[in-house]
Amino acid sequence: MVRYTSPINPAVFPHLTLLLLGIGIFFTAWFFVYEVTSTKASRDLFKELLLSLVAALFSGFGILFLLLWVGIYV
Amino acid sequence: MAKIQYSFIFFLYIIIKCNGVNVDIISSDLKLKNVDRNIDISSQLVKITSKITLENTGRAPVKYFLYAAESVTKDNLAFVGFKDNNNKDLRLVETSVKGYDDVKFWRVELKEAVNAASTVVVMAEAVLTKALLPYPTAITQQEDQLVKFNGNLYFFSPYYVASQKTTVIVNTKSVESFTKVKPFSQQDGTISYGPYSNIGPFTEKELSIHYKNNSPFLTVTRIERLIEVSHWGNIAVEETIEIEHTGAKLKGPFSRYDYQQDHHSGPASVRSYKTLLPASAADVYYRDTNGNISTSNMKVKKDTVELDLRPRYPLFGGWRTHYTLGYNVPSYEYLYHSGNEYLLKMRVIDHIFDDMQVDELITKIILPEGSTNIKLNIPYPVSRLPDNLHYTYLDTKGRPVVSFTKRNVVENHIQDFQLRYTFPRLLMLQEPLLVVGFLYMLFLCVIIYVRLDFSIHKAEHPHKD
Amino acid sequence: MPASSVEKPLNSPNKGLFNNTAGFSTLITVTVLLLAWLAGFASRLFAVIRFESIIHEFDPWFNYRSTAYMVQHGFYNFLNWFDERAWYPLGRIVGGTVYPGLMITSGTIHWILHTLNIPIHIRDICVFLAPVFSGLTAIATYLLTSELWSRGAGLFAACFIAIVPGYSSRSVAGSYDNEGIAIFALQFTYYLWLKSVKSGSVFWSVCTALSYFYMVSAWGGYVFIINLIPLHVFVLLIMGRFSQRLFVSYTVFYIIGLLLSMQIPFVGFQPIRTSEHMAASGVFALLMAIGALKYLHSLNPKGQWKQLLILGGLLAAAAVFIAVVLLTYMGVIAPWSGRFYSLWDTGYAKIHIPIIASVSEHQPTTWSSFFFDLHVLVCTFPVGLWYCIKNINDERVFVALYALSAVYFAGVMVRLMLTLTPVVCVLAGIAFSILLDLVLREDELPIPQTESEESKSLYDKAGKLKKRAHEPTLPTDNTGLGMNVRSGILIAFMILLMLFSVHCTWATSNAYSSPSIVLASYGNDGSRKILDDFREAYGWLSQNTAEDARVMSWWDYGYQIAGMGNRTTLVDNNTWNNSHIALVGKAMASNESAAYEIMTMLDVDYVLVIFGGAIGYSGDDINKFIWMVRIAEGEHPKDIHEADYFTERGEYRVDSEASKTMLNCLMYKLSYYRYDSGGSPPGYDRTRGALPGNRGFKLTYLEEAYTTEHWLVRIYRVKKPDEFNRPRIPLAKRIISTTNAVSKKTSKRRKGLLKNKPTLVKGKKVSRLE
Repeated sequence: MVRYTSPINPAVFPHLTLLLLGIGIFFTAWFFVYEVTSTKASRDLFKELLLSLVAALFSGFGILFLLLWVGIYV
Repeated sequence: MAKIQYSFIFFLYIIIKCNGVNVDIISSDLKLKNVDRNIDISSQLVKITSKITLENTGRAPVKYFLYAAESVTKDNLAFVGFKDNNNKDLRLVETSVKGYDDVKFWRVELKEAVNAASTVVVMAEAVLTKALLPYPTAITQQEDQLVKFNGNLYFFSPYYVASQKTTVIVNTKSVESFTKVKPFSQQDGTISYGPYSNIGPFTEKELSIHYKNNSPFLTVTRIERLIEVSHWGNIAVEETIEIEHTGAKLKGPFSRYDYQQDHHSGPASVRSYKTLLPASAADVYYRDTNGNISTSNMKVKKDTVELDLRPRYPLFGGWRTHYTLGYNVPSYEYLYHSGNEYLLKMRVIDHIFDDMQVDELITKIILPEGSTNIKLNIPYPVSRLPDNLHYTYLDTKGRPVVSFTKRNVVENHIQDFQLRYTFPRLLMLQEPLLVVGFLYMLFLCVIIYVRLDFSIHKAEHPHKD
Repeated sequence: MPASSVEKPLNSPNKGLFNNTAGFSTLITVTVLLLAWLAGFASRLFAVIRFESIIHEFDPWFNYRSTAYMVQHGFYNFLNWFDERAWYPLGRIVGGTVYPGLMITSGTIHWILHTLNIPIHIRDICVFLAPVFSGLTAIATYLLTSELWSRGAGLFAACFIAIVPGYSSRSVAGSYDNEGIAIFALQFTYYLWLKSVKSGSVFWSVCTALSYFYMVSAWGGYVFIINLIPLHVFVLLIMGRFSQRLFVSYTVFYIIGLLLSMQIPFVGFQPIRTSEHMAASGVFALLMAIGALKYLHSLNPKGQWKQLLILGGLLAAAAVFIAVVLLTYMGVIAPWSGRFYSLWDTGYAKIHIPIIASVSEHQPTTWSSFFFDLHVLVCTFPVGLWYCIKNINDERVFVALYALSAVYFAGVMVRLMLTLTPVVCVLAGIAFSILLDLVLREDELPIPQTESEESKSLYDKAGKLKKRAHEPTLPTDNTGLGMNVRSGILIAFMILLMLFSVHCTWATSNAYSSPSIVLASYGNDGSRKILDDFREAYGWLSQNTAEDARVMSWWDYGYQIAGMGNRTTLVDNNTWNNSHIALVGKAMASNESAAYEIMTMLDVDYVLVIFGGAIGYSGDDINKFIWMVRIAEGEHPKDIHEADYFTERGEYRVDSEASKTMLNCLMYKLSYYRYDSGGSPPGYDRTRGALPGNRGFKLTYLEEAYTTEHWLVRIYRVKKPDEFNRPRIPLAKRIISTTNAVSKKTSKRRKGLLKNKPTLVKGKKVSRLE
């Protein structure tokens, strides 16, 4: 039995948070602008779904690391 | 056929073993050659350390012997422990003897058998709680606290005791009264009795000492210890403690002026006490239901973190308070694993203050969601409570909680328990994916919303550019 | 700096970096609003960072306790809750005397979070509710102002209201009070009302009514809405701006709003029975009349109908007014209640309702507090008001009326600065937006189509000197401002705005962020010493007294004792029963034996007083004592006389010059009992700056139970009658005397013979008659 260490070094939590959340916010803003400016005709479902998936992915991991950084060890 | 036979014998063996009660007989071969007893009653606990020289007067080698506790003390007895000459712990098993129903017996198993006509030395340690009674039961703010100790003048044993000596440590010169059975002597802070020779088995003679004891008489009426294990590298420990001053009650008014001006006011009151935390404890918080308690000091030492805790108000007799103390420790200190099998080794109860006595302890351990195959191992008997589930951040099914409880706990019970469980490593991904899924649902709602049309009638399209 | 109007001129030579400027502008708007939310949230967190996440002041403790009760017992048990631990022995019907909007909001958030397995404690939700709602208020203000003027003005107004001290004073983290959510509901209702007046659609009117319902559940200040909107309609009618849109929106709003507002138990039937709501009904009737007349006029559009219309309108208005006055006279409609009447007649409260007059928040506003709470906005908002009146339309009439009425009320009471703040932010936002439009607008000069390189020189006024002869359409008159003037004005206003935000942060941090249950003092080296006496005392109370013990204290601390100490109180901040408070005041103001009678009658176990003399805390009970006397005198004028507590010269003192009544009253004794520390000389009262006149006395009927470390809170136990009624016999006399009595009966007289030997006379048997 060896000592258990976390898969990700806790010292890296802040940097990971900022990076992932930053990218997530960027994609969210892109998605938002796309929704506001497109008309019924010009909307592309595939682009929307892809954009939102990427945004959700990065934001979701960013939020997890934000929780870990703040001290809520989920 | 053989299978049935084997299973039958197996069941028989189980039935015999599971009868629960061990029965022993008192061997007449054993004799206690010498007993040196040290009764320390300078704090709120009665700590009896005895150095027993056991002699085997029979012919066969003896592997174990019996230890007995008087019927009046068996409720107060919090801890009994035996060590042999090399400071190794000896195994204790509760047992009983026919004909002595109100006496409690333990069987102490020696590491090596005592041969005929030879002796062995063992050290016994017993801790009694609530054996010191304040007398008078109520005092004013200025008075000293006087307590009465009722014990046994002789060493209570199922065997014949050839010679014994008792030293009682009171740590004070103000002794109101004490039992005077010759030979005895009183020095600075100690009263020595003995040597007494040739005392028969199960002899009881009242030893009563009425003396001044201003040491803190604090009882933790209830402590709930919560250990939350997170596989992201952290173990959070939170203790909710209700503490009461069980010395002589305060009679009359409490005067703040006297308390502030006179340094000797309230000699039996408790202003603060020190709690020792594990060395890597961080993010310590000390609060109660009304918020943070700011009167505390923390000192990080080499192998421990020392917290000087001051309750919101000084504790006089009969006063009580409650608080919550919590801290984080990194998981690599206490959690071990090999593959998907994990082992948690942590203390059943941690240090609250020196010479502590706890009425009720409840320990709960929260494991990550999806842990299975949970096995708990504790070095002394506790009563295990049924498992239940705890729901917190990013949980769907709930986290398994293992809990157990014990009454009458003292400092000697600060030992490690072992908890084994299985946790597939991939389940850790469930948490971020839950958040991702939630956010994706929100985005999908937006995508659906912009495609909805709630207008009651079609508006004419004005031709813009 | 938020972007001003984004309408670029059509013949703009430069194309934007992004093809979709509308999307970019929406992104900027959303970003600015989010940043305003963040700024508003962050600027309210000073108390939490300096101390901890805890409920402040007095009133929020009751709100927190009710919210905790609701979370624990469920919504219907909360609505039907009868609290027997307040106002002992009367109790309080909480469900019927509270505005439940605040508790329902927190309870709903708590329920949602716990369903999602996010275990945030209800206290943290309550503490952070007001900062979160401040962001929502900023968004509502943006919507309101963009309806009134433009999106740029809306962004300005949103940023202003996010940080302005007038609003953040009542919505810091920890101040869990109705105003925190009520201002959001107010702004949102007004936005929806303007939207419905503009569009005339039933949808928006119903939304307005729903938002009004939320406002009614949240705050007693909903009376402001239900009087301002009818006033708006009335003024529009007078101005001759009646329209179908107005008719539809007001009638739908009034009826649905009325029905919904009566669902709140505390409001009950008030909207149809009290004078405060009669304006709304009167305007409704008037609107119906005018609408009917207009309809008749539209059927028959001839000239003389116009006079008939005006005459009919006037008649209808007069009829409505007379009907309301008649009903009030007959008693069917209750007259204006004390709280609202004192807004019109400012001297009323001091004479008749001293409890209202004693609250420091109800004092008239000073000039300095206008500037302190609003800074530069109070100077620029008349500009916005003037522009609104200059370019009048239906919505701008509303905001003008709002501004005028809010300014009047803010002048009456400090507390009502809060209702002035939103409209000041809106109008100041409009003013700044107009200014920046003026300064930043590019000149629309016709560009020569062929010579594009010369277009650069159009922006450079200095360079025009050379090319003056070649430019055909050089503006010689000032259609625009010079470039230097523009940059100068721009820089000046940016500095002004920066000063504004610095002031707002400073004001919030210094003046409005103290939790008031935790005091802090700073030593010479900057180290901080925390005085946690209040929680020390309440913690002692909750742990070391019996569960059903009754605590008597002045009504200020009732909510805190109930919330933190969890004990039954006699009077608390609700102040609904003046006689009960007067009894407590009388007990505090009488001498010890008279007070003991009152205390046994009220069944009191403990008495709690606040004494600030040891540390110089000026909000203690001795400083409030004269109000206790006044309130007691109001109910017991024969027993308590205010003049008795002053010296002959009319001064209020506590030293040896003080009056005899003052030196022997219970409050004095409880404050100064055994107070002999506190610096030099010992027993010096730091708050009053004097040595107490009566020292070294003993208490007969009470016993000191606990005093906190800095003497701030003193708790006394009331002795039971058997504890002090026994006369003390000295030890030497404790003998039962027995007499050495010898029996005087000799053997002859032992059997108790009569002294003289009696003679026996035998009587004759009377024969019985048949």
